[in-house]
This record gives sequence, structure tokens and C-alpha cells, in this order.
Amino acid sequence: MKEEVEKELVEAIKSKFPDVIEEAEVLRSKRISVTVKVDKILEVARFIRDELGFDYPISAGAVDYIKEKQFQVIYYLLSSKKKVVLMLRVNIPRDRPIAPSLTPVWSAMDFHERETWEMFGITFKGHPNLTRLLLPEDWEGGYPLRKDFKLSSKEGS
Amino acid sequence: MSEEPSKRVMRISWGPQHPMSGQIRILVDTDGERVLNIIPDLGFTHRAIEKILENRNVVQGVVPVERMVMVDTANNALAYVRAVEELLGIEPPKRAQYIRVIICEVCRILSHLYGFGLGAESGGGYPAVFLWSTADREPFLDLMERITGTRWSYSFFVPGGVYRDFPDKIKDKFLKTLSYFEKRLETYRRAWFENKIFEARAKNVGVLKPEDAIRLGAAGPSLRSSGVSLDVRKNEPYEAYDEIDFKVVTLPEGDSYARLFARYLEMVESVKIIRQAIENMPSGPYRKSVSPFKRLPKGEAYARVEAARGELGVHIISDGGFKPYRVKITSPTLRNLYVLSQLPKISDILLADLPVIMYSFDPWYLDADR
Repeated sequence: MKEEVEKELVEAIKSKFPDVIEEAEVLRSKRISVTVKVDKILEVARFIRDELGFDYPISAGAVDYIKEKQFQVIYYLLSSKKKVVLMLRVNIPRDRPIAPSLTPVWSAMDFHERETWEMFGITFKGHPNLTRLLLPEDWEGGYPLRKDFKLSSKEGS
Repeated sequence: MSEEPSKRVMRISWGPQHPMSGQIRILVDTDGERVLNIIPDLGFTHRAIEKILENRNVVQGVVPVERMVMVDTANNALAYVRAVEELLGIEPPKRAQYIRVIICEVCRILSHLYGFGLGAESGGGYPAVFLWSTADREPFLDLMERITGTRWSYSFFVPGGVYRDFPDKIKDKFLKTLSYFEKRLETYRRAWFENKIFEARAKNVGVLKPEDAIRLGAAGPSLRSSGVSLDVRKNEPYEAYDEIDFKVVTLPEGDSYARLFARYLEMVESVKIIRQAIENMPSGPYRKSVSPFKRLPKGEAYARVEAARGELGVHIISDGGFKPYRVKITSPTLRNLYVLSQLPKISDILLADLPVIMYSFDPWYLDADR
């Protein structure tokens, strides 16, 4: 009985894209995590929005897995009917940080992708306006949220 | 008049001085009185709180998280604390959950009072309303000082519960304050929300339709005043909210008036929530001990909380160290600013209406910058 809706959603994604999904699981009630291959993310995203009803974009961010030499971009989405949060993840190599932009699917990812771009240096292909959001226009200090970013204050890692 | 429209466009740089725009600059493209484009320029108060949190243990982390929204510190701290608790797999004691609900709802009232004052100021030159609402925050600030030790920025929520117990002897004073505040709310309604000047200023201004509100990801009261009933407190009840009877405020209109009035109605609901929480608060322990000097379990937790401005998400990823590996904070204001930037495309906006529209979203720029 528990987490039935979540399991159904995961099964629907898995059966639609058996080769594209690297991982799809129910984390806990109201939380699903789906990891997809980078080249098919737009197809999966459209399916998730149109067929599964994840119509409400929450945000996007990234994680720097420096030991594994990859970035993970995470999109946070909510279904306004089922009230389930889906985390759509895509792993990209750290030395070639390019991912397709999901702004054609959820236009509200605009600001979040811009922030991820300036904080991690991940380029989102197809983004209409990939410019600085929070950092100063003339910022040259690198990408602050990367793990190899050197802090200059006493906080040094 | 025969000029090309492109030649008639004037770009106005608005801000970043504090009065009116706040710590943000907004580029406004205008054609005469009509607003064609709104381009928010953010980052004036960017403090890299996400990076700071990677260098703090989970007990220290509560402090920088609270600096995101100074009028709504409890809800910010709660999102972080709940994510930590989910990661550690602990549930706070029942009494702590009720204390948290009380403080969070007081913070919601404090925040909405501030937003209401600013909204009133922008909507018809009524500085008196701002002064009333500021004065009416005082009794609540005194109560908070009595409970937490400070008037704001409490750092009162800790992983595992709350910092100290709720003093039962102030319950009567608390209930009296609530009754007084309900009378004040009635005054606000008659003096401001039934005010012809304000109605003329805010009704049918900056209309956001429900489908647009969902598509653009509007958060909190700005979403619910477009007729969409999404509230984290109801959809995935946290703390003691599932044991408390309250309504989710939704209004169908989606204009600036509705956005400001929805906050007013939420204050009315918050009073009801606080009253129930005070009356039903169980006795017992108020904290479970959580050591900051232990390694965090490997894994991740994504906690959502309904803050005053809307859904606040904290996603903690841990690699098994003493400090979180990564903390992603999703703030409501950044999302509402995106809605504001898209508003000229879906609704006719005049330059003179812009202050009302901006303040109807109740933005808090430090929240967007983080």
C-alpha cells in the first residue's frame, strides 16, 4: 500500500525508456530519483512532463563528485496533481561539462541553470541566455561551488 | 508616432538602493507607460551560503541558513534541521514538534506583517499602515524573546528538537496577544483591504493565471492566490501540522490584490494554528541529543518546508564526513522573481503599477541570492 503512486511512476519511466534510464528508485514517500543518460534527457523530460504530470518546476542544481571525476546535475520537479517530487539526475564528465538545457521543457529552469553554470562551469546547450545571475559581471575567480575552488579566508578546506 | 517601436523603447535601471527596489537592480524596458521587459539583476547580497554550509557541521549550519530571510528565520532553520534529521534518521519529540509549529507560524505572521506594510506603502502612499504593522510585530517579538532568548534570528531549532523548553506560564499571555492581534487584523481589513484607493491600485493588476503560475513555478502565496492549492504543510505534513485543523488559503483572481490579500488571510489561519498548538501541546522531552562530533551517515535527504514566501527546499548530500558534502537550497524568492520577469509577456503592465506588482510577490532578495 505504501508508496504505491511513487512505485507506479518509477515503473512507468523504466518501461518507457529501458535503455536510457541508468537508475530509477523510490527514495521515500513523495520522493523519486531518476538518473538518465545525458543524450536522451530531453526526451525523458518531455515524457515526464506530458505523460506523468510533472508540470511544476522547483529548481535545478549540481553536485561536484571530484573523486569520480564527474558532475551530477539535478532537476527538482513536482507533480501538482500527485504531489510527488522527482529528482531528475544526469551525470556528465568533469573534463567536458556540457549538458542539454531543459529550458525548452520547463522554461522556469532558466535562472537555476544560469546559477549552476556560473557556480560549477556546466554549460547548458540550448539555453536562451546563459549569463551571470548572482556573481559580479567581471568575476574571474573560477567556479565557487566546485570542490577544487580555493577559499581565501580562514575557512580553507 | 510613426517611429519604429524599437526606437521608442527606453531602458530604466531601477535600484539597487534599498527604498522600494531593495537589494536588487531591475532593468525595465518601457514603451511609453507600457512595460515590455523586466530583467532582474541579482547577486548584490550573495554570500555563498551553500558553500559556507559545506564547511560547517550540521549544528553550526543552522546559523548561516537563518541569514537567508531575517524576518522568517524559523522556517529557514526548520528546512535545514529537518533535512539533517532525515539524514540522521531521527524524529524530534512530539513536544518539540508543537513548539516548532508555534514559532514557525509566529514567523509567518511577522513576515506577512512586514510584507503587508511594504505592500501597503507601495500601493497608495499610506505610510501609516506600514507603521501599524511594524508596531504590531512588537508583542510577538516580545513573546519570541521570552521563548527563544532573542527577538529574531533565534537559532532555536537544533537537530533533534528545540534548544530549550517552551515556558508554560506564558501560555495565557500568548493567547491574549493572539486575541489582540485578531482585533488588529479586523482593523487592517476595514482600513486597507476595503479601501477604494487600494482596490483601484491593485485589482486586475499583474494577473497571473493558474496554468501560468504552475508553468513558471510561482511559489507560496503568489501561487495559491492564482487558485492553485499547493501547500507543503498540507501535501506532505511535517512536524505537528497533520494534527492541526487549518485551511489552505486559495484565491481565484491571481492579481496583485489577491496576492496581498492571500497573505492577510494566511495570518488569520496562522492565529488559529498557533492557538490549537498551544492548547494541544503535549508535555514531555523537547530534545534528543545529537552530537555534532560524529560522522554523518552516507546518503541524502531532501526536506521541504512551507516558508512564509513559499516552498523552501534543502537537499543535503553526505559522503559520510563530519560536514555535508553538498547543500542545495531552493528558495521561493528566486522562483517568484522569474515569474515577475515573465509577467510582461502574459499580462499588460504599466510602469506605475510595477511597485505594487513587485511587492505583491513579497520578494526577499537575500533569499534569492543566498
